[in-house]
Amino acid sequence: MTATETEWAVETHALTKRFGPNVAVNDVELRVPRGCAFGYLGPNGAGKTTLIRLLLGLTEVDSGTMSLLGYEVPKHRDIALARVGAIVDEPRFHSHLTGRQNLEILSASREPESRPRIAPALERVGLSQRADDRVAEYSMGMRQRLGVAACLLGDPQLLMLDEPMNGLDPAGMQDMREMIKSLVEEGRTVVLSSHLLDEVQRTCDAVAIVDKGRVIRQGSISELLAGSSLVVEIECSDSERARSLVAQRRTATEVTSGPEGIRVILPSGTGRDVIAGLVRELADGGIAIYRVQPMQTSLESWFLEVTSRFGESS
Amino acid sequence: MTIAIEAGPAGPQMPGTQPDRRDRRGSWIPNGRMIAAKILELRKRRGLMIALVAVDIGLPTLFLAVRLISHAVDPKSYGPAGGYDIFTPLVSNLMYVFGFIVAATLGCTAGCSDLSDGVFRHLVVTGRSRLALYLARIPAGTAIFAPLVAVGFAIVCVVCVYAAPTTLNYQGVNVPAGLSVSGFEAWSEAHYSEVICDFPYQGNLANFTCGPNGLIPPSGAAAGGVTTTPTAEYKAAAVKIARFNYNSYKNTFLSPPVSLMVESGLWVELEAFVGFMIGLGLGSLIGQRTVSVILMIVLELVVTPIVARVAIPHAVNLQRAVVGLSTAHLEPKALVPIFGNGGGPGAISHSVPVTTKEAVFVVVCWLVAWTVIGARRMVKRDA
Repeated sequence: MTATETEWAVETHALTKRFGPNVAVNDVELRVPRGCAFGYLGPNGAGKTTLIRLLLGLTEVDSGTMSLLGYEVPKHRDIALARVGAIVDEPRFHSHLTGRQNLEILSASREPESRPRIAPALERVGLSQRADDRVAEYSMGMRQRLGVAACLLGDPQLLMLDEPMNGLDPAGMQDMREMIKSLVEEGRTVVLSSHLLDEVQRTCDAVAIVDKGRVIRQGSISELLAGSSLVVEIECSDSERARSLVAQRRTATEVTSGPEGIRVILPSGTGRDVIAGLVRELADGGIAIYRVQPMQTSLESWFLEVTSRFGESS
Repeated sequence: MTIAIEAGPAGPQMPGTQPDRRDRRGSWIPNGRMIAAKILELRKRRGLMIALVAVDIGLPTLFLAVRLISHAVDPKSYGPAGGYDIFTPLVSNLMYVFGFIVAATLGCTAGCSDLSDGVFRHLVVTGRSRLALYLARIPAGTAIFAPLVAVGFAIVCVVCVYAAPTTLNYQGVNVPAGLSVSGFEAWSEAHYSEVICDFPYQGNLANFTCGPNGLIPPSGAAAGGVTTTPTAEYKAAAVKIARFNYNSYKNTFLSPPVSLMVESGLWVELEAFVGFMIGLGLGSLIGQRTVSVILMIVLELVVTPIVARVAIPHAVNLQRAVVGLSTAHLEPKALVPIFGNGGGPGAISHSVPVTTKEAVFVVVCWLVAWTVIGARRMVKRDA
């Protein structure tokens, strides 16, 4: 059989998974484009890992449909997973075996061509020198890298990495980031679940935000951030009076004052002329302006904004 | 709100984009590489392998080594290390139980090691059939425990054959080995005193009196200084007793015969295989090695002997369903009965009688049932 021609590496429709009364994955509609790094973000307990487990057939779905690389799963799970590599939760291995032997065991369940890929995979993740040491002697970071090497055995088109930065030191995180980028450059799709939003912002092209089992936003990072609030920091002589003046103007969503000045949050889409008007008004009010700094909203602050807003509305 | 994402271009065609026709990973039949991988995983468990070798090879070897040394140092006090009389209890009481425990421990480990080590999900993510992953454990585990049991058994056989006594001891009397019926009768005629005094007999015979040195002639026999020992009467009695004992004598050997060793070896391997399969299913079901191994040992060393010795009214059929009784029933006749319930039909009074057909049926049912339970749990389990 052949896969249906689709541009989506991962596609889900109304996917739902319950654990008793708790809905871990709630009616999820997700589309991950091929050939990109895709971040899957959400607070703890949001259902990120459960969704990955459903996609990989590690647990059974209650309702909904899903496909990987155009193959409907679980119907064609074996064919789909032949081109998928994944780390779910922390990567664990037989600790009494060496890294190489663990990969040999995993390779035995894949196609015969996966065996010659063991050495290059170990080389790529920088474990060649320690490949013949027992995994019991590996650090957490080395296990993470061994997990990535295990993913590469199947020459995957799609990699699903659940919290791959866990346990890595800054250098290890940098290496992992570069590896993910290089995988994407090779045309592979990487789905990255992480709570390290800054890492996702640096690594991924697109994200989906999940909260309470439901995908509440998905899109490219630049598009999503374009729809977020604008923050302006103004360093001035009298922060209390400045806060009062800006609050009267009613253009700001929120104004807070500090010892050095005020922090103004403006609605998304606010133009530069509004900021100029604010500055003019403060100057007219006799307040000395020392510095005006429009801040780019980070994915982290935007993430907190949308997840808390979602929490209030639900 | 959902912001539409523009779909990216389909990734460049990479090698192996289309599924390989040779790669039948959806099949439930495990391939040789999977079996070899599982053998690697199990045999590299150093602690487990040392324990298994120590129990199944080390203990019988130690027992026989002590006997060999003792006999070499003081042959008058310590009998030969081997022989038929050593072989039968050693196989029935030691190799049978140890083989089961070794194989059950290995089975429990094979049944849950992937899960407890966190590797099961890696294996599932390969897309390989979970049933194939389970079934690969059967030949892999068998390839480990069967040679172990065979080596331990072979050591017992070698010592019992080559360190066997040079004369056959039947009922405390040295008798030539391998006599025919007529030969045994002729020998009995010639040694009527030992035969009448030491061989068992159930039947009517004249009242003979035996002393510490053998048969005591009747008090009126010596008359006028002439011995009138009724030798013909003694010889006739000895022949009768010899006929009664011949079947028992026939099954007494200096060393275990080849046919008995082959039968016993297969029986011990069968018991080990049963232990492995139940352990594998139980390990897969529970997901914990320690609990599974404890349950297996309780089954073999506590439940089965109790059930074999005590017939519970209205629950005899339930007792028959205990697999240990069935494997004990299949024990070769010439061995010492295990659990007081083996040795084949008629070898010993059975508290819970089992026919051979029932025994085979029960063993097959246990093998199939635990395979189904273990495999189903593995297929349905969250990885």
